[in-house]
Amino acid sequence: MASDIGTRGAAAPVGQGEGRSRRNLGPVRQVVVPALLCLELLVFATLSDNFLTGANMANVILNSVDLALIAGGLTLVIILGGIDVSTGPALGVVAWVVGTSTVAGTSPALTIVLAIALGALLGLINGAIVSLLNVTAIIATLGTAAVFQTALFGLWGGTDLFAPPVSRYAAADRLLGVPTVAFLVLVVYAVLWYVTRYRAFGRHVYAVGNDTEAARLSGVAVRRVSLAAYVLVGGLVGLAAVVYMARVGVVQATSGTNLTLAAIAAVVVGGTSITGGRGSVVGTLFGVLFIAVLQNGVVLTGVPPLWNGVLVGMFILLAVGIDVVSERLSARNAASR
Amino acid sequence: MSSVSLRSQRLRATNLLRDRTALLVVLILVTSVVMSVISPYFLVLDNLLTMTQFGAVIGLLALGQTLVILGGGGGIDISVGATLSLCGVLMGLSVGEGVNVWVAAGLALAAGLLLGALNGFAVTVVGIPALIATLGTLYLFGSAAQVLAGGTQVGGFDQAGFSFLGTGTVLGVPAQVLFVLLPAYALTAWVMRRSLFGRRVYEVGNNGQASRLVGSSPARTRFVLYCVSGLLAGLGAVVTNSWLLVARPGAGEGFELQSITIAVLGGTYIFGGRGRVSGTLLAVLLIVILGSGLQLAGVDPSWQGGVLGIVLVLAVVLNNAFLRERGERR
Repeated sequence: MASDIGTRGAAAPVGQGEGRSRRNLGPVRQVVVPALLCLELLVFATLSDNFLTGANMANVILNSVDLALIAGGLTLVIILGGIDVSTGPALGVVAWVVGTSTVAGTSPALTIVLAIALGALLGLINGAIVSLLNVTAIIATLGTAAVFQTALFGLWGGTDLFAPPVSRYAAADRLLGVPTVAFLVLVVYAVLWYVTRYRAFGRHVYAVGNDTEAARLSGVAVRRVSLAAYVLVGGLVGLAAVVYMARVGVVQATSGTNLTLAAIAAVVVGGTSITGGRGSVVGTLFGVLFIAVLQNGVVLTGVPPLWNGVLVGMFILLAVGIDVVSERLSARNAASR
Repeated sequence: MSSVSLRSQRLRATNLLRDRTALLVVLILVTSVVMSVISPYFLVLDNLLTMTQFGAVIGLLALGQTLVILGGGGGIDISVGATLSLCGVLMGLSVGEGVNVWVAAGLALAAGLLLGALNGFAVTVVGIPALIATLGTLYLFGSAAQVLAGGTQVGGFDQAGFSFLGTGTVLGVPAQVLFVLLPAYALTAWVMRRSLFGRRVYEVGNNGQASRLVGSSPARTRFVLYCVSGLLAGLGAVVTNSWLLVARPGAGEGFELQSITIAVLGGTYIFGGRGRVSGTLLAVLLIVILGSGLQLAGVDPSWQGGVLGIVLVLAVVLNNAFLRERGERR
């Protein structure tokens, strides 16, 4: 009776033989999203003359920095076997604080530190509920999402908060023609990539996601790793809020809410398994680009923006469907061999 | 001697708490008392009955959510709200084409069934994890509703007494509760308790592998559950349209989270196999009382979300505590 509380039950149907199947289909899986991205670029470039211009590409990047930062952290949480559906509302709360702090004339550095700290605190709340109180991640973060959303509503208090960018570097400033914030994303992803690949913490994240019990038995501090992952995504949400505020310039009662699902979509389209244990931040970067290019291209080619969601939904199903089916086929091959 | 009676007392107390029905009834009573202290209008029969109509639509969605979660295997349907929106818009468009409103309602139900089947196909046949599959269809259905409605609302339902379903009352009981919500719950409760299918859902939810070994197909059972969830969302769309007399493309936004909250609050175990339809109904009642009470007390409805979030997490923490205790004793 007790044994089925902690495990994720039938969540991972492919058990043995997975090592083999991964070797077989690793290349296929890694190529799916970049290939879709190239196809997408090609289609939009053919359909619109304004698409493949430097100015438009800079726009794509500028509009996806906050999404990229959230999705990068979220990747770790999902690899861990968790999920965080509170990132959007959390971003809204931090954005309000960033805006207020900027308007009050606080120094940019202090505002940024404050934003990251507040984001990390919100992440800590999530992490504590998930790993210390043993509440399933989806439920815990659904709960905190509602609470954060309400908190933002309370802070917002009926009047939209307008604020200038924290720093010109956080807004549209360019370096060598590329938006400065793009370098921020590259640095964050490089660090995340290094950590997930070469640091003990990163390997523990994979270990916990693959088999929590085995990880525990081999000495991984499961709770601490999980807590750290939620704090990490929180901190990145805080950083994303700074960029979001510089881009949008206004906080409303619903600010950030649509980033929640977009971030999950980016991670999943990027090839990270929602059941945990498999995935990479590099894939997520491709997932983010894929969604950002889609949203931009759709507008440029004159499709009404209402179609955005239809396409995003279809690509989530397509990308994950290909992934799941290919995995099953390779498992079957491995079994028959 | 005294220690024995103390223990039995404590046992009785935890039993009361462990039984979700009792816990919910107590919560409902406490909330009602608090609300009637806050507002003298609360305990008026008229208000109590009117209140229930706010629970009809979300109650239908929560029922579908409960079933999908009960089926286990990571089952969840976060597309319920978007399904409702799309069914509602489809119904509105067909009425606009001159279809009789009741026929259009039937079409909305069929559409719900079909959309649910699409979810079921993605999850049970293709094998996409439910959270992702229904996230995809949430985007798909929600946007399709917007596209089809051209971003605005679709109307024209005020014919052939259709509005009675959403706004009428029989002896003070809202028609949508009497003719839709309660029958849906009664029928589902009967199916889950008495029919082979219902038993199979619990069996599959508790242990999909074992049920496969004894010869029943978890995939087929779960597929049906997604269809039912879609059908109930379609039914929710009909009730919504009859209530508002327009189909809003964003009518179901936010319902996905609420429906999960209610299902879990009602005692449904998030990994499936444990939970009861009656628990979900009580949770709907609690949410309705809470919402309406807060409204009477002059609290902005937006604050309900936060209260609901806290209640949700607390409900699961309680669940965990009881499960752990039970596990240790065995």
